[in-house]
Amino acid sequence: MTSEVDRPEAASSGNPSPVPAEVPAVDAPPETQAVAWRHLHLLDVDGLTRPELELVMGTTDAMREVLSRPIPKVPALRGTNVTILFYEASTRTRVSFEVAAKNLSCDVVNIAAASSSVSKGESLVDTVRTVEALGADMLVMRHNVSGAPYLAAEVFGGAVLNGGDGWHAHPSQALLDLYTLRSRLPGGSLEGRKIVILGDALHSRVARSNIWTLTAMGADVWICGPSTLLRGFEAWAAHGAAGRRFTVTSDVDAALRDADVVMALRIQKERMASGLLPSLREYAARYGLTQERLRAASPDVVVMHPGPMNEGVEIAADVAVDPRSAITAQVTNGVAVRMALLYLLAGARRAGGNP
Amino acid sequence: MSEVADGMVLRGWAVDPASGREGAARVAIRDGILEQVVWLTGDDASGITPDGMLILPGLVDFHAHFREPGNEDAETVATGLAAAAHGGFTTVCLMPNTTPAIDEPGVVGRVLAAAAASGSPLRVLVHGAVTAGRKGETLSAMGELADAGVVGFSDDGAPVHVATLLRSALAYAGALDLPIIDHPEDPSLTGGAEASEGYVASVLGLKGWPIAGEAGAVARAIEILADVVRDVPAARLHLTHVSTSASLAHVRAAKAVGLPVTCDVTPHHLGFTDAWIAGSRRWAWDQLDADGRASDPWTDGSLTAHPFDTSLRVNPPLRGAEDAAACLAALADGTADAIATDHAPHTEVDKHVEFGWAINGISGIETALGIVLEAVASGGVSLARAVDALTTGPARVLGRRHGVAPGLHVGELADLVVVDGAARWTVTAEALASKGKNTPLLGRELRGVVRLTIAGGRVAYSAD
Repeated sequence: MTSEVDRPEAASSGNPSPVPAEVPAVDAPPETQAVAWRHLHLLDVDGLTRPELELVMGTTDAMREVLSRPIPKVPALRGTNVTILFYEASTRTRVSFEVAAKNLSCDVVNIAAASSSVSKGESLVDTVRTVEALGADMLVMRHNVSGAPYLAAEVFGGAVLNGGDGWHAHPSQALLDLYTLRSRLPGGSLEGRKIVILGDALHSRVARSNIWTLTAMGADVWICGPSTLLRGFEAWAAHGAAGRRFTVTSDVDAALRDADVVMALRIQKERMASGLLPSLREYAARYGLTQERLRAASPDVVVMHPGPMNEGVEIAADVAVDPRSAITAQVTNGVAVRMALLYLLAGARRAGGNP
Repeated sequence: MSEVADGMVLRGWAVDPASGREGAARVAIRDGILEQVVWLTGDDASGITPDGMLILPGLVDFHAHFREPGNEDAETVATGLAAAAHGGFTTVCLMPNTTPAIDEPGVVGRVLAAAAASGSPLRVLVHGAVTAGRKGETLSAMGELADAGVVGFSDDGAPVHVATLLRSALAYAGALDLPIIDHPEDPSLTGGAEASEGYVASVLGLKGWPIAGEAGAVARAIEILADVVRDVPAARLHLTHVSTSASLAHVRAAKAVGLPVTCDVTPHHLGFTDAWIAGSRRWAWDQLDADGRASDPWTDGSLTAHPFDTSLRVNPPLRGAEDAAACLAALADGTADAIATDHAPHTEVDKHVEFGWAINGISGIETALGIVLEAVASGGVSLARAVDALTTGPARVLGRRHGVAPGLHVGELADLVVVDGAARWTVTAEALASKGKNTPLLGRELRGVVRLTIAGGRVAYSAD
């Protein structure tokens, strides 16, 4: 195994914030300075401690500064080959990683599984070995099977960044959501803030990853949706919420009451076919995020959506473009967060890290 | 051909469920025959304890997959038998989900011929398929299979999902005095499932296999049996690899009213849990808190391995620690009649893939006894009861007529295993005789080193 086992000393909420690690000077390559990041891969967010989350946020601030320059580019990772291997359709995540890598002067190779040997039946293990032999230093991958990036990390000699796996995890999305919230919420703190994740949690890697990061930062997280799409989350809340604030409910009014943040999740048509929902119309009527529903939330509520949106279903069109919506900011911040992640992971690897 | 066991004198803690005796003993074997069993007392017994050298009747595995014919890359009858002997088993019952399926007598003959050609002294018994091609549509050649010597009928790997067919099968097999070995699963609840529904599956984003997917099928099968036995008193139902507390409650209730139902549990459902998929490697009984609730692997510091290890993908899936504890309790109180390995060897091609695409099954026949001895050491079940479930328990399910009578029977061909319960071995790919290296125990130390396996008076395995 090339990857270390990353495990949390349970990222705890409520504790006083430790002194954040020093943010690296991102114009220079990471190996020229001491960077307090030990992870060789980013496969999940369950192992990230609060200081590590703070380091990602601080590094993202530095990347935002780079992005504000006339030429938004630094030579920090010049010569690094970033291969983007996506087994699922994606626009924003794939392009966001590509732009992030190019801003750090990486060389980028894009592989869409449908147009590669994967469509000829090549196994993931063989594909990963092939891209490594072709010079990949870092592998950004998306896969429709939960846990697939762990298999890639087992055989790949460089860093693996999980760009979304099945229903399991979407680390970069959770981190850009966290970054967006810190810049939107007064004082930049999530401590005690009521954050509602509304919709199809069952099939959502965004919901799962956000539960880890938001509760680690002390937020009061509510998962809300039709009971058929919350299956298993009750057990999570009851069982695994030690020290974290985490509530699961089908009662949308209770969830939205005084909410500081509402994050709507995409509803997919397949859910009707599998008998989980009567109809999209009924979903929109009962759980859609409308201006009327939002009146129950805090007046300064922040509205989010990981995209792509079904306007008129899980979110009303006028809510998506409301001044309180942070949806566009999420996309912009996505590039900066991914630059930070590429930078930190490259640094851990060049520093020797664990084998 | 293996050599005849001759001139052997063994000292150790003997457990003989056939006679109900357990204690320090000296066992002598001459010319393949168990010549003498002397129960030792006083100074003669000094130094012999139940946690040291054990002498047990040869173990019986009611449920194993040796993949021949059709998938010899994963296992052959010969390699499976070598693995079984290494695991302390002297009798194996092979499941019919081969290619082609064992649904007509010709395939039975092929399997038995492969066993004979292997030179192994182990006893090989065969289960026939319930339905033709295991397709769940029409009955297999059940009568002809019975004539060819099958010891039970199973579509294992899949349930007999059509209720009328299960009813016919129970009645028809009952008239042949053979059990139906049902794999209880309701596929409409388990389609595409990757892990037991609950906390761990939810966190890992794995599609859940609900408790009702098994317990509902168990309840239905028992009700169908109750209906059949009124007309066919010899009908028998055996539920294999039962994995949940709810299923065991149904079995317990059915036994209480005298229905002819039996069941087995597997070593992996006793010792492993769904938390292992998250990366825990704690034994199931070590995951319970003081209130008997499963502790949280994400906060209790138990996550030491990588998550999504496909060697843990198995059907039925690994359950939570509470269900594992229920399986152990059912073993202890006799609700579970037998421990069956469900030895399911697979190739790396089928296992070294994405978790949700990995084939189901754990290679387990060589680690079964070790896991059971770990369970005994935990205090969850007595040594005598555990040995019964590995020997006379499955023999009772089989019935007398197949000649499987485990025990330390003086004057008969020796059929026993000597295992050092105090020693440990490291499970490695090289140490496993099976072609299937798909076990989460690789690299781990396991209690119980098999020193000697004697089957039918011949040395099937010797560590020395």
